[in-house]
Amino acid sequence: MADQLRPLDPGDKPPRGTVTRACVRDLERAVGRERVISTPEELIAFEYDATIERGTPQAVVFPESTEQVAAAVRVAHRYGVPVTPRGAGTGLSGGAIAAVGGVVVVLTRMKRIIEVDVANRLAVVEPGVVNLDLSRAVAGDGLYYAPDPSSQRACTIGGNVAENAGGPHCLALGSTTNHVLGVEVVLADGEVVWLGGRFRDVPGYDLAGAFVGSEGTLGIATKIVVRLTRLPESTRTLLAIFDTVDDASNAVSAIIAAGIVPAALEMMDRNIIAAVEPVLHCGYPLDAEAVLLIEVDGLEEATVEQAGAVHEICAVNRAREVRVAAAQAERDLLWAGRKASISALGRLYPNYYVLDGVVPRTKLPAVLRQVYAIAARVGLAVANVFHAGDGNLHPNLLFDARIPGTTARVLEAGAEIMRLCVDAGGSITGEHGVGLEKRDFIGWIFDEHDLGAMTRLKAAFDAGERYNPCKAFPTGKGCGEVTQVHMQRMAAALGDDVYV
Amino acid sequence: MSSAAPSAPAAEFLALVSHAAPGIQIRSKDAATFAVDGLAPGIVVSPASLPELQTVLSEAQRSRVAAIPVGAGTHLSIGNVPARYDVAISLEAMTRVVAIEPADLTVTVEPGVRLVDLQERLGEHGQFLPLNPPGGEGATIGGVLAANAFGPSRYAFGTARDWLIGLRAVHADGTSAKSGGRVVKNVAGYDMHKLHIGALGTLGVIAEATFKVLPLPSTRRTVAVTCGGAREACELALAARDVGLSLHAAELLSPATAAAVAGRSEWTLLAEVAGGAAAVERSLRELRVLAADAGARLDEPDQVAWPAWSAAFQPRGLALRAGGLPSQVASIMELLDVELGGGRALISATAAAGIIRWVLPDGGPGTAALIEAARASVARVGATLVVDAAPVAIKHQIDVFGPPRADIAIMRRLKEQFDPQGILSPGRFMGRI
Repeated sequence: MADQLRPLDPGDKPPRGTVTRACVRDLERAVGRERVISTPEELIAFEYDATIERGTPQAVVFPESTEQVAAAVRVAHRYGVPVTPRGAGTGLSGGAIAAVGGVVVVLTRMKRIIEVDVANRLAVVEPGVVNLDLSRAVAGDGLYYAPDPSSQRACTIGGNVAENAGGPHCLALGSTTNHVLGVEVVLADGEVVWLGGRFRDVPGYDLAGAFVGSEGTLGIATKIVVRLTRLPESTRTLLAIFDTVDDASNAVSAIIAAGIVPAALEMMDRNIIAAVEPVLHCGYPLDAEAVLLIEVDGLEEATVEQAGAVHEICAVNRAREVRVAAAQAERDLLWAGRKASISALGRLYPNYYVLDGVVPRTKLPAVLRQVYAIAARVGLAVANVFHAGDGNLHPNLLFDARIPGTTARVLEAGAEIMRLCVDAGGSITGEHGVGLEKRDFIGWIFDEHDLGAMTRLKAAFDAGERYNPCKAFPTGKGCGEVTQVHMQRMAAALGDDVYV
Repeated sequence: MSSAAPSAPAAEFLALVSHAAPGIQIRSKDAATFAVDGLAPGIVVSPASLPELQTVLSEAQRSRVAAIPVGAGTHLSIGNVPARYDVAISLEAMTRVVAIEPADLTVTVEPGVRLVDLQERLGEHGQFLPLNPPGGEGATIGGVLAANAFGPSRYAFGTARDWLIGLRAVHADGTSAKSGGRVVKNVAGYDMHKLHIGALGTLGVIAEATFKVLPLPSTRRTVAVTCGGAREACELALAARDVGLSLHAAELLSPATAAAVAGRSEWTLLAEVAGGAAAVERSLRELRVLAADAGARLDEPDQVAWPAWSAAFQPRGLALRAGGLPSQVASIMELLDVELGGGRALISATAAAGIIRWVLPDGGPGTAALIEAARASVARVGATLVVDAAPVAIKHQIDVFGPPRADIAIMRRLKEQFDPQGILSPGRFMGRI
């Protein structure tokens, strides 16, 4: 059976071309000279995403329409050069980095909200629309776009589709995949095709479902049909304050086990509070070991009932105090601390490395204890801020990269924490993606046959492996050095605007 | 339906598989009960474990027999007429509940577990899987997934793709591959499991599935709102959605359906109001006001309304299903009133999800033309029409899924990747894949 598998080793794939002068000229002809950059000085800005990962493209194009995306992709196809799609560059796994050079297609100029259909609760948007801008645009109609990555002021819907982005409010309503109905996609040869449509019931394989979360390796989404959600009539936000992390994580498990699925259920530990509270004054007590931010929404009667039940469970699990915020301003302040927490870490340490792992919710107390133990053993501080309700951990390793040897310890501890998540029956990523960062961890959860099946899907879309090479799958020939360089830089620092 | 003698490839398969998996259950005497569209397999094989299932598939590929995975057979009418059919792979022996994790709100099962049994197990923990396809009580989980079957809970809870978080499938070459996992949030690897939903076993055989599940509501009330007509019932259903009432289902029933299901003979909105006690009371109150404003009457029908609905809409005879936008539901029903209305059909619509179902008595000679005409009508408003059941003679004349779109090329490449020799449910999928 194994001999039937397609090899994962890209060594035998068609050779990758490089972007020649002629290729740049053809790109300029295809989309207009003003939409292409190719000088080293100009390209530097597109080496990065939010991870300080780097990879220099040889050309960057800024298409403004589906036709221009298709035209640029056709040129790249003709020259056999890799294509890496890019949104706002807020990704946390290196997905938008041109790992082996080639052409980067920046979608941020395609930012039209093409249509809002209030009666049918859907919107058709271009990929460069900023996540929060969509929710703002439809708020007047009593609707919003539910997935809310913490980077939602900057990140684009196209990037969200690529990564199957999550966010605090994905607990009850699901991640991006649950909110995408259809995508118009430019395939590797420049063909434009719709997957899914304006409603779910388009017969055929669920190609739109498979496309969401494919990390830019199957195609470029040029139009996206998303579901919109009704704004709840009532929202209650609770802040539960705990003297131990154990009590807080037991409370999380108890809330889920009691059959309550809140709209959001977030945890922040002492180090996060220390970073955030002095700046934003959200009312998180500096002497608490952990706080839970819990939100319930829906009909007024439902939120009263659920808030009461949540309050009681927190009390039973030894919450020192539970505060309930019903007024919008109070709720906004509680959330402001949560959303700014990672960037506030810069106050405490020069460098931090954001991890993203998932464990079954019942395993939270045990896994968190081990996360602290691993950090203590290697002599690193760790700050935890995460989506506790769905078991999606974000430990942040805090360090000073100027101290020799530190970076290596950070990488080692990061890998060990990922291993811990896997051993607990979880996953190596809940919302940031595999990208460059975790290609070598994916073998911990998927065997050669699992990966072989995924390779078959890739082959059905992009047999020539032009889209986003060296991402999401284990390292192959020609990609190995990319990972090493990446990991060192990854651990060295993170940009200013990092959100989880 | 004749039980064919095993074909030459089937005889070779029989020899190979008995040799490779000596304990495996193989039979041919009741093969006729595994018939699909009148075509009976020569052999029925019932693997009892993942390794046995892998052996069945790899030997099937080697001997090039056409194999169709079969669960309880409640939804086998869905799909095009098979191009070939030698072997039924019955999943009736793969019935383990692999892991039930009430505190994590997840469950992992083998494909032969019946939906009704799973709901009962989950119910012991105060939980449920929000899928309730018509005629699905006896259906297996594998079958529900392969058919992408859903029922009235579509109103509030979407389809299988919203609840399936991990899957293991066995491909035609016998390789077994999983995707997703057992945690509720996970973006590692492609979501291969989504491809198997509704694929009728054309890409592989489902060997294990993991779902996230929901807490059961503390209070449930079924109410029926008797309306003046289809459009009024539709508007009422969408109005209830727009004010965010706590509903788990809201089905629009035609007069004939209402007579069969809810003991009345007018257009009726059959709703399940569910949630916490206070939210349910409030929702009932508001629904009553909405009904009064629309000149409609609200009351509580017999408890048997939902089971009766389920029995009425199990795909059989001639069963059609339109999918479109919620705002189009009333218009689509009016458009098709001549072809499919006129009191001959049982009609039910999940208006808020854009779904309409028709069940008619078996059609006569003009039925294929009628289906094509109906399909052309709904296509003009951008909607789709799928034939969930039809007499074989009619199925031979149509593609039950309708005309493919440009993405059929990707679907064909996908099939080629996973089943290059076309041994799995050949011909049953869209475009005769």
